[in-house]
Amino acid sequence: MTRGRYGLNLLALTLMLGLLFLLNVSVGSAALSFAEVVQGLFSHTGTASEIVWQFRLPKAITCIVAGSALATGGLLMQTLFRNPMAGPDVLGLTSGASLFVALLLMAGRYPSVTSIIVPGAWSVALAASLGGIMVFIVVIIIARYVRDNTSLLLVGLMLSAATSSIVSVLQFTSQADDLQTFMIWMLGSVGSTNWAELGVLCSIVCCGLLISISMVKVLNGMLLGESYATNLGINMKRGRLAVVLVTGLMVGAVTAFCGPIAFVGLAVPHLIRLVVPASNHKILLPAVMLGGGLLLLVCDMLAQMPGSRVLPLNAITSLIGAPVVIWMVIKAKRISV
Amino acid sequence: MSNKAPTVLETHSLQVGFRNRAGDKVLFEPLSLALNRGELVCFMGLNGAGKTTLIKTLAGIHPPLEGVVTTTQSVAIVLTEKITGTQMTVRDLVTYGRYPYLDWWLTLSAHDQAIIERAIQQVNLSAIADNQLSQVSDGQLQMALIAKALAQDAAILLLDEPTAHLDLNNRVEIMNLLRNLAHRAGKTILVATHELDLALQTADKIWLATPNKKIITGVPEDLVLDGSFDSVFQLKGFDLKTGKITHQAYRPLSIALEGSSHEFLWTKNALERCGYKISSESSLHLAVGINKEQLHFTISAHEATHTVSTLKELLEYLAKVDQ
Repeated sequence: MTRGRYGLNLLALTLMLGLLFLLNVSVGSAALSFAEVVQGLFSHTGTASEIVWQFRLPKAITCIVAGSALATGGLLMQTLFRNPMAGPDVLGLTSGASLFVALLLMAGRYPSVTSIIVPGAWSVALAASLGGIMVFIVVIIIARYVRDNTSLLLVGLMLSAATSSIVSVLQFTSQADDLQTFMIWMLGSVGSTNWAELGVLCSIVCCGLLISISMVKVLNGMLLGESYATNLGINMKRGRLAVVLVTGLMVGAVTAFCGPIAFVGLAVPHLIRLVVPASNHKILLPAVMLGGGLLLLVCDMLAQMPGSRVLPLNAITSLIGAPVVIWMVIKAKRISV
Repeated sequence: MSNKAPTVLETHSLQVGFRNRAGDKVLFEPLSLALNRGELVCFMGLNGAGKTTLIKTLAGIHPPLEGVVTTTQSVAIVLTEKITGTQMTVRDLVTYGRYPYLDWWLTLSAHDQAIIERAIQQVNLSAIADNQLSQVSDGQLQMALIAKALAQDAAILLLDEPTAHLDLNNRVEIMNLLRNLAHRAGKTILVATHELDLALQTADKIWLATPNKKIITGVPEDLVLDGSFDSVFQLKGFDLKTGKITHQAYRPLSIALEGSSHEFLWTKNALERCGYKISSESSLHLAVGINKEQLHFTISAHEATHTVSTLKELLEYLAKVDQ
């Protein structure tokens, strides 16, 4: 009986995602009517088609892919650490990814993010992933010694601070052009991905999402803790390694192309648990994937609201994410993984 | 009976402990222990003796320093570790018991579902099966964990302090359930506990961890009579042989008590608790009896008699006499 309700919720989320996708494609800085957008979608000539195919579609798809990846990464981390405050940006994964992107960019081999061609796209994505994975491993090692939520959070903050400071040093020694590119990238953007980059992003994220889905049993087992899970025949060592690799890859790829997007990974799993009260990842994972896409589509639309000037994406996600975190801290006793 | 039952789990020179850079921390002398089918064994010992670690070692989730645990049967565990997932329901938790039998997408067959429902019924949680774990009591959570272990269909159940932090009623309920599972369903059950009274009254056998890192095994009553419990627990004011707290008579008054059955026992309890000495040589006689379904206490001394109908009145009267 309850299973039917979860099914309905998932269906509602999917429909909302579809609707928001269409809405997202039909709004933008260029004033196009809905009819023009539809026309642009199906023709291959004209300004409308150019705008829709070169700007709006890649951007909307990036929103969905990046949102799903970050939200899923957040859920995996919260489950792994059995800690409601875990998330890719909170524990420094995005900072680690940023550091590696900065190293690549400012080492001067790549003049700017926007001019990256396909092989470059892969190398930036993989470098960022490597940065994310490395920070994740450090956090896991430290998490063995600290057990409570606040300490782990503090460790994450410190790691973020440490990696950010290296980035600052890099910025200080880099040229003005690179610096500006990097600063813009730091603000977060889903609008600068071209189809080639989107291909790279999609392949990495889809792999990650599929592997996550295949790990439902392991993830559920993590909620019981290592002893119970091992007794139930679940290989926890392999499960932990898989979570580290999958999360690092997905978050790294997203960070490489969209910049360090804050709060999505932390907030979406909690927001979804309000709608779909379940702890079973078989139900939670698909819902969180849909929810992540939804939230980024909404944030992207809000970023374009004021009219001609497009606000930085991170400003909007933080505007939504910060109250969520404050609310979580206030209700800390009731919020859990 | 336990002598003839087949052994389902054995250890041979098993060394339990932790291995770290500073060297091995060994918790027990090499252990050679056995669990027999259909037996309820209570594992007792002081806090910090290493009960949890031994249970984890027997379950195969903590590596032994040396030696082996041999078993032909599957083992299910109930630990004191915290479970995250407050949105998990009782049924979700019990479903975990089927995980060893399920595919990656956790598809439940009708057979699995029947086993889950039966396990929930066995622990009397059907009424709250869809409640979230955050909404159930500690006792109910323990019951749900036991149901999870039952759903696992394992022949051996190892439980670590399942009655800790529970009230007497819940403790008795859990121990009775475990005893029934051992005697009626043929499960082999090892329970780590420090509830001396409950263990003595329910266990078929006791494993007693001593301060010098040994484990004494035996029938509970044997260990009471040979003083093993006394030497381990250093009992302070609890007389194990009578199963009661020892009282020092601090009042000069001694009473010769007459009566039978429950009324006699509880009157004796009240008098001893209040510091009176019970002695058949006393000239103060107290007769407890029931007349027309009404309790009465008749005190007689030097031909004078006084009758009251509650222990409260009796104690008040005695206090006056005592002065």
